[in-house]
Amino acid sequence: MATTHRRKPTKAEIRRQKMEAAVLYPIDWLEERSGLIGGLRYFLFRNVPSDVNWMQTLGSAALTAFLVQAITGVILAMYYVPSATTDPHTGQPVAWESIVNISDHLTLGWLVRGMHRWGASVFIILMFLHMGRVFLFGAYKYPRELNWVIGVLILVMGMMEGFTGYLLPWDQTAYWATVVGINLNGTAPFLGPWLAQFLRGGQEISGYTLTRFYSLHMLVIPGAIIALITLHLYLVIRLGVTSPPWSKDAAGGEPEEEEEPSQLRPGLTRPVPRPSGASAMQTEPGGRE
Amino acid sequence: MEPEQPSPDTEHDLPAPTLYPIGFAIGVVVILVGLIISPLLISSIGAAIAIIFAILWARDATRELRGEQVVVEPERRDTTTPAADQQSLADAPVTRSVFLEGATLGLGAVIGGLIVVPVAGFAALPSFLGQTEHKVDLGPISNFSLNDWFIATFIVDVEQGEVSRRTAFVRNNGTVTDPATKQQVPSFTIISNRCTHLGCPTQANGPTGKKFTGVAPFKEHTLNGPAVFQSVIPAGYGCPCHGSQFDPEGNRIAGPAPRALDRYGFEVVNGRLVLLSTYSVSTVVGTGAQAQINKYKEAGPGEHIDGPEQWLYPLQPPHN
Amino acid sequence: MAAIPKEKPSRVDQARAEFARYKADVKSRGKPFYPYAMFHDTIMSLVVVFTIIGLAVIWKWTSTGPVPHDPTHKGLLGPVVDPPADPGTTSFVPRPDWYFYFLFYLLRIFKWPESVFLGTVGVPTIALILLIMLPFLDRRRVRKPSQRPVAMVAAVLTIISMGVLTWKGATAQEALASEVKANIPRWKAQEHLPPAAYPGVQLFATAGCTACHTYDGAGGQNLGAPDLTNIGSKNLGVQFQINHLKCPSCVNPGSPMPSFASLGDERLKQLALFLEASKGTH
Repeated sequence: MATTHRRKPTKAEIRRQKMEAAVLYPIDWLEERSGLIGGLRYFLFRNVPSDVNWMQTLGSAALTAFLVQAITGVILAMYYVPSATTDPHTGQPVAWESIVNISDHLTLGWLVRGMHRWGASVFIILMFLHMGRVFLFGAYKYPRELNWVIGVLILVMGMMEGFTGYLLPWDQTAYWATVVGINLNGTAPFLGPWLAQFLRGGQEISGYTLTRFYSLHMLVIPGAIIALITLHLYLVIRLGVTSPPWSKDAAGGEPEEEEEPSQLRPGLTRPVPRPSGASAMQTEPGGRE
Repeated sequence: MEPEQPSPDTEHDLPAPTLYPIGFAIGVVVILVGLIISPLLISSIGAAIAIIFAILWARDATRELRGEQVVVEPERRDTTTPAADQQSLADAPVTRSVFLEGATLGLGAVIGGLIVVPVAGFAALPSFLGQTEHKVDLGPISNFSLNDWFIATFIVDVEQGEVSRRTAFVRNNGTVTDPATKQQVPSFTIISNRCTHLGCPTQANGPTGKKFTGVAPFKEHTLNGPAVFQSVIPAGYGCPCHGSQFDPEGNRIAGPAPRALDRYGFEVVNGRLVLLSTYSVSTVVGTGAQAQINKYKEAGPGEHIDGPEQWLYPLQPPHN
Repeated sequence: MAAIPKEKPSRVDQARAEFARYKADVKSRGKPFYPYAMFHDTIMSLVVVFTIIGLAVIWKWTSTGPVPHDPTHKGLLGPVVDPPADPGTTSFVPRPDWYFYFLFYLLRIFKWPESVFLGTVGVPTIALILLIMLPFLDRRRVRKPSQRPVAMVAAVLTIISMGVLTWKGATAQEALASEVKANIPRWKAQEHLPPAAYPGVQLFATAGCTACHTYDGAGGQNLGAPDLTNIGSKNLGVQFQINHLKCPSCVNPGSPMPSFASLGDERLKQLALFLEASKGTH
């Protein structure tokens, strides 16, 4: 290639270079002192197989649902009162009244509460769908076994979160579903009765049960879920995302296999020949293609 | 032995440290504490301590200025050779680094234990300790017409309020001869409505209300708060969750419940019916005042109390 | 020359080699996560957020009907506020949240008292252990569904059974007296009940019969109790009905139906008249 004809840079080009430098300065400052920008760039610009499909968005969709739950939950916690005592003025339980207050009287309370309640169902559905997708793709096999185990733990934690959260409105459905749920645990041999009494905070369901479930729902289980999700994401980034197993050109396929070229997506059947600077692309931004 | 290396500023070596500054600090602390507790007495003591140690400290620090001989203890360097070092390391079973490792881990474990044990204890123990028995006043026994069933709702623990509201099926059986005293004592059948499968609220299978039963329901303002009594003619009790069925004495007829419905113990005090704790029942033979109730200690729902399955639940947590 | 059989590399070495090839493939042929894959993720996340908001809005809008404070209005997604907890109730049917329906129905399946702990903790624990151990039970390297028949069949069976259990849990009915009573006018019309059967139909609705028997589109099915919509067309006779109600297992050995003798002779006769008059809907 002929060398670029060197000429004096125009005023517009100088201005542009100055702006780029101004934007890059704080980023470089942060990178030099923390290394975080490098991590972010790695996460954003790492390669994934070129044939990933829509089913593989379910994991991040589940993460989005969890974030919605976390944010709406934090806001609801500003108005919800976890007390099973009776309000002397109205004769109703205080926790139940705070929910009615949120739903009926506070501005946009109905929306945040509704999002939290239905977000829970959406979160669980997405986790199950994501689990099914991973199963279908065989993406639990070497070297991703640990990730699968962590994922199952997240699922169990998510359902426990739903169980503890269900009690908080302190209405009929909440109270009795919890009675049965705790007694279910109580039927486990040997330690069951002790576990049930520990969950209940006593011999019978009382105000202590509500506060106990509130603590579990707000602090213990979300902490566990966040820690597990962090591990889960770390492993996904480290180990990589699989290609669909039926893909004609799956990454990591056997080198001796000779497949018929796929008629559907010709771009996937053979590697697109790239210019010799290809190996530099892993650390650089993808660029325009 | 190598000769001592003269340190660069031997003339300005500091004297060996003394404890006088610490004594002075203690004096100041005692002054401040005394200001809170007892200014006259304790602050005076603190002032005395502070002054004494201040004088001693000043005397010591100004020795040089006053021309007294200052005794300087030069810093001694360890003069053993490297080879001798390693020899001593191999000989000594517990070296400094091994000791430090063990001490760090050990102290870490102690700190961890100090934090976790009280916290975990606080999380777990109050659920098990201090379970108290609650007596429930249900009103004068004259309210309960003979052989009529009532669905009674009452508050068990006044302090907890509505959350301790419970329901029982109550029938006045009249009197029965107490085998011990040969006296006529009141007999009541009082059955808890919580299903023994998983704790759902059972319903009486039968018509309720005065129109069908001919008995008027009533309310009673008992010592525990308001209690409501609805009249009913039960042909049995059924559970809406998983379909367990019980006969009017509480025996299990069908469904997954492992035993009969629990019952409340009771006593009659000053002509008023008072409920005691619940107990578990395997089966009841006979009806009403003649019923033979096979009593067991209170067990949770879903737990067998007789038969081979009872060994699945050998140890019950403390109930009242 | 004699063929020397090449020693096949161990399974784990093959897996490692495949993973190394995967890494190399992705490095050389892959696309950067941002913007390609992340764009898809972002669209899907947007769909999720809109779905959640949409459900919340629909919940609010459908919870109240055209008539305000109408207690019989059943919204599409249920009421926004349920009645407050009443630990002393005798008229409530407990249900868990929908994603526990499969466990709930499992408990109705395990209805022998000796098997209770199987349904409560046995089966769910075993299922969870199998789920966690999956990567250690299935160590084959093949990932194509067409080459994993056992896995695919197991997955399909699991999905179908969980779906069926969830649906059956959702539709499991228990009949509450208050709800059943609302059917009485319809029953009178559809069954063409004579006035002599009116006291009996009231008793039938409130005496808990519908806890186990279905009748003309209402009631629950439990313990194998038959549907009674046209029990009268069997012409069993009023006296038979009374005898049966007094002692079902005497008339029908092995029947789990409880005795209704405590209702008294007059009410038993009313019930019998109603049952004999129930000759089906037409």
